[in-house]
Amino acid sequence: MDTMQQPPRPARKANNISPKLVIWIIVAVVLVMLVLSSFFVVDQTEQSVVLRFGKYSRTVGPGLQTKIPLGIEASYNVPTQVVQTMTFGYRSSPSKGALYANPDYANESVMLTGDLNIIDVEWIVQYKIEDPVKWMFNVESRETTIRDISQSVMNKLVGDLPILSVMTSERTKIEVEAQAEMQKVFDTYGLGVRVVTVKLQNIVPPVGAVQDAFEDVNKAIQDMNRLINEGKQNYNKVIPSAKGEANKAIQVAQGYAAERVNQAEGDVARFNSVLDVYRQNKEITRTRLYIETMESIINPVEGGSVTLVDKNLSNFLPVQMLGGQK
Amino acid sequence: MRTNVNKKLITTLVIVGIFLVIFVLLGPFYILYEGQQSVLTRFGKIVNTETSAGLKFKMPLVDNVVIYPKKIISWDGAAQRIPTKENQFIWVDTTARWKIADPAKYYETVNTISNGLSRMNDVLDSSIRTIISENYLNESVRNTNKINNIKVEEQVQNLDNVEDAETLRNLTATQARQETISIGRDGLSQRMFEQAKQFTDAFGIELIDIIVRQIRYSDDLTESVYQRMIKERNQIAEAYRSYGRGQLAQWQGKTENEEKVILSEAYAKSETIKGIADAKAADIYAKSYNLDPEFFELWRTLESYRKTIPSLDKVLSTDMQYFNRLYGQDMGK
Repeated sequence: MDTMQQPPRPARKANNISPKLVIWIIVAVVLVMLVLSSFFVVDQTEQSVVLRFGKYSRTVGPGLQTKIPLGIEASYNVPTQVVQTMTFGYRSSPSKGALYANPDYANESVMLTGDLNIIDVEWIVQYKIEDPVKWMFNVESRETTIRDISQSVMNKLVGDLPILSVMTSERTKIEVEAQAEMQKVFDTYGLGVRVVTVKLQNIVPPVGAVQDAFEDVNKAIQDMNRLINEGKQNYNKVIPSAKGEANKAIQVAQGYAAERVNQAEGDVARFNSVLDVYRQNKEITRTRLYIETMESIINPVEGGSVTLVDKNLSNFLPVQMLGGQK
Repeated sequence: MRTNVNKKLITTLVIVGIFLVIFVLLGPFYILYEGQQSVLTRFGKIVNTETSAGLKFKMPLVDNVVIYPKKIISWDGAAQRIPTKENQFIWVDTTARWKIADPAKYYETVNTISNGLSRMNDVLDSSIRTIISENYLNESVRNTNKINNIKVEEQVQNLDNVEDAETLRNLTATQARQETISIGRDGLSQRMFEQAKQFTDAFGIELIDIIVRQIRYSDDLTESVYQRMIKERNQIAEAYRSYGRGQLAQWQGKTENEEKVILSEAYAKSETIKGIADAKAADIYAKSYNLDPEFFELWRTLESYRKTIPSLDKVLSTDMQYFNRLYGQDMGK
């Protein structure tokens, strides 16, 4: 440090830099570099693998970590907490959502089913790096490997099933089996990955005429239900009303019956009463009844004119006006 | 004095620097990372191989280090159009894993990674082709026979009638029994693997597996499969529609039938009721009137006159008994 305070400075500046100063500066720079390069930061989502002379030394967790500088130790951060997603048959981007257009993606998703039909299966695989050391050093092209195995497993599972089962009832089973099988293969490679989930997305018949034909079956089911409902509708329209009609007819008949019997009984009661009287005074009653009846007939309150004619014309009497106003 | 010191210092630094550079370039040490292995050659002759990571020694200037990956490497084969045993062309897309198991042998026989991949191409393509074309299509597509144990049914809903649902299910059933397979996809992969392995071992390569990534029909075959699928769906759609029409007709018939039954039963019942009432009334009348038929005749006739005659236009003869007294006392009988 003495050198730095030695006057006079400006005199030496042009051609005489103190060698000690140079050494100190170099030492200082080297020191700073050493210190800086012996710290490294590991994010909460990561673990870091530290190699010493290329050989695995240790795995460290999140925070500020130290290592031996000068390239003796090297650190590699691996995102072990992050669940990563791979899509098959399509790609999604945060801004545009799912992208389906590229035919290359379609090639991933076209499969043969067990009943030798063709189907389009889209799915995703989510995985997590479980063992950073294995992940780093056991397999060369890891993403490709995951893609290859996932595709192969999915193809195999779909290839074992009939097309309708793939589309409907076996979906969940495929997901579960695919996950287990992929995990098994990754473990044999020592990939250090845990398959979190396999989810099937769209499972559809090939786009175009085939899909239309599948759609048409759904439409046919709708048509069938519509026709059946039409039939039921008509039934419901006619039958309850017919039942009402039937009831009405029966009620009317019962009314008629009651009326008829009551009328008969009324008539008979009247007859019987008159008959009693008649038996006591036959002649008188008969005459009275006759006269009363004639009276009411010939002097009607309404309707009909009466013309009285004397057959012998010996005692003609014009009684034409007898009927009234006509 | 100071200039001398400076010169000496600079000279020393330069010399040290040059030595350092030479040391680094030719130095006796090299770092072998995890996932790597190396072959050490001296004047072209293999003297040592290293498979574990760490700081390794070599003779400066005379030793040459070739570093190979120790990791599993993937081989991505191009999709091949291969005929199956029944001569149907399919696209088979395969991939394989391998690694360098014997770096010395690999160095001798293959040397570089890209060479290795092209050797793999030769060997694997041929064994894949052989195995696929020796077997039927079903063996490549399916892995097990479980398809024959799966019951596929259309979702027949909204049917009141169990029997009808059953009929419809039979109509729309598409399940044909698939041929039984004896090897399956995994089995074929295994055979390809075994065949290819015989050749790859000679290169110091350890073949780990061969897997079929994808199997597709060739384009012309695809078109006819599409047609078949379409026809199959059409057939099912027609079954539904026809069943619907049948049901409609059935309901129409049922409606007409029930309507007629209901109305005619009501007619029968109402007429019966009326008849019974008529009979009862007749009985009542007869019992009563029989007491005196003569009076009944008089009574009923007069009653009837009351009802019928008033509304008629009447021309009456004075001969009627009623008019007996019309012309005076004498005119009587």
